[in-house]
Amino acid sequence: MNKVLEVKALSKQYSKVLAANKVSFDIGEGEIFALIGPNGAGKTTTIRMISTLLTPTDGDAIVNGYSIVKEPEKVRECITYLPDEAGAYKTMTGIAYLKFMAGLFSTDKNVIDGYIKRASDICGLGDRLNDKIGTYSRGMIRKLLLARAVMTKPKLAILDEATSGLDVLNAIEIRKMIKRLAKEEGMSFLLSSHNMLEIEFVSDRVGIISKGKLMVTGGIPELKERYNAANLEEVFERVVIENEVH
Amino acid sequence: MKFINLLKKELSELLNKQMFIGLILTTLIFMFVGNIMETTISDAVNETYSLNICNNDDGDMSDRLMDMLSQMGENDALTLKVVEAQGEDYADIINDNDISSLIIIPEGFSDTLAEGKPAELISISRMTSAATMSNLSNDTSGAVSVIEKCITNLLAENSGLTAEDLALMDAPISVSENTVIDDKSAAVSMDNVMSKVMMQNMILPLIVFVLIMMTSQTLMSAISNEKIDKTLETLLSAPVSRTAVISAKMIAAAVVALINAAVYMVGFSVFVSGATDTVSEELSTSVVTQAISVEVALAQLGLSLGITDYLFIGIQLFLTIMICLSVSLILGAMVNDTKSSQTMIMPIMMLAMVPYMISMLADVNAMPTAVRMLVYAIPFTHTFSAMSNLMFGNDAIFFGGLIYQAVFFAICMFFALRLFKSDKIFTISLNFGQKAKFKKNSGNNNEE
Repeated sequence: MNKVLEVKALSKQYSKVLAANKVSFDIGEGEIFALIGPNGAGKTTTIRMISTLLTPTDGDAIVNGYSIVKEPEKVRECITYLPDEAGAYKTMTGIAYLKFMAGLFSTDKNVIDGYIKRASDICGLGDRLNDKIGTYSRGMIRKLLLARAVMTKPKLAILDEATSGLDVLNAIEIRKMIKRLAKEEGMSFLLSSHNMLEIEFVSDRVGIISKGKLMVTGGIPELKERYNAANLEEVFERVVIENEVH
Repeated sequence: MKFINLLKKELSELLNKQMFIGLILTTLIFMFVGNIMETTISDAVNETYSLNICNNDDGDMSDRLMDMLSQMGENDALTLKVVEAQGEDYADIINDNDISSLIIIPEGFSDTLAEGKPAELISISRMTSAATMSNLSNDTSGAVSVIEKCITNLLAENSGLTAEDLALMDAPISVSENTVIDDKSAAVSMDNVMSKVMMQNMILPLIVFVLIMMTSQTLMSAISNEKIDKTLETLLSAPVSRTAVISAKMIAAAVVALINAAVYMVGFSVFVSGATDTVSEELSTSVVTQAISVEVALAQLGLSLGITDYLFIGIQLFLTIMICLSVSLILGAMVNDTKSSQTMIMPIMMLAMVPYMISMLADVNAMPTAVRMLVYAIPFTHTFSAMSNLMFGNDAIFFGGLIYQAVFFAICMFFALRLFKSDKIFTISLNFGQKAKFKKNSGNNNEE
């Protein structure tokens, strides 16, 4: 399997806190990888570094062959990032927002139109796309943003709490969509979530991060067996407690 | 192409319905207030020549005075209204007769004058509000001076003086006024030059002030809204350079500020011309007779600005906008909520307000060295005093200011770009009261 992302000993030091400590993992083409960990473990910092928003203090990550340190512009052409609690421009209509974002990824009108059509189909907002985003519910905004994140068929889509704000049915729909895009279109996903059920359903492999250190990575059945756990939640609990004891 | 997309997005966010309604309202308000000023001043100037009088004296002098005033009334030199009034309840008298001012010639007026003593007149003025313009027509000083002149004439007649003698006594000297600026001089009174130059010097600072405030506020909101609405991370993770994102925001803010400044310039010109034309018309027909016109005098004195001067002022305005933009970039980046976005405009407002006020009231160049240096350290001071410096030949100060502003802009822009290209754009915050709270929250986020 071709590697879409290779994270190599990525570290981030804030003034007093080592938020990410030599984090290393990789994601293959069409693979869904989830980064899980308690609050303040370093998930968002790691994701922000891979998204080229933050500069690593040490280490590097290679996205589709491009270094996040040396070629961040090239990296941004291959990824999309959906932050947790992200917003959209309230004064724009949904369709204008998609058009604006598509215009940042391509200058070809036909390609842009293709992106918009794809996003419109995925988000399922129908005629509401012609309304101002300011009138949308939180769930509608999240669906619009998710559609925006996958409309360009990026090599790697980074989704932080992908289904936050969505009701159960919509969340299920999104999880299915992620799996379908990975399987049928070969898109790779880096997810971050607190919802273990979601991660267990959607991910091929997980990485558990605690206190800035990536403690363990592996497939879910493999981890369950290794930690003699019934589900991912138990694996998570054991790994985190183990780290705190040490 | 991607940059055009960014710019279009910024402009469409800023040039919205609310902004255009605001601009139309501003223009209408300026025109409306200008019209009111025109009418008020015109009424007031006309009203000065109307005279309400009550004669309670039956002496020779007061009768002759009344005759004289009646004659002036018939010749349209003034509007005379004779009122009957008794007692000392002046409020009643004014209200009953529905007048705003009144002169009463009290009993014994003629006798006192006949004794060779100054006689007393009673002047009553109605005050309707504290507004400067509102009481102009209620002032009786014009009426009193007309009466004073009449009495002087009557007393002179009694003493056997001729009209020529009296005219000479009235105006024993004539003044040929000249004004000198540097090595140039013109036969014009300094007051007239001042009033003309002041009008010009009022418009530019106002436009500069509006430009500074609008540019700063627009850009700061554009940046802070991205942070508050949590759209910045998505935008900066897209394949566009941060420089392009900043440039689009800066250009859009400058365009909006220029539109605002243009509207204010037109509106304020209408407002000022409404107020000043009426006054100068009245003055030029009655009192002021100049040897040469003020415009010619301004040219002779070197106060008229040429195309090159306006070009330099344009360059300075451009630099001023650029300074505002760079400072606003830094301040906008520090904002994390709506409240602090309002507070952040304060430093720029103060930096604009101080030189604005000073330039209207005083000459910066005449201030003590330490104060002058301090005031000139504010980059906007150079813009506010640009016109004055160019008019009065302070070229060294003007061009020094231009260089200072260019350096100031370069430094601010350097720091703004560094801030935007670093992690600080996501971590920096200056939330004053909420600092501790934010630090705690951002600490959590950072650690995640």
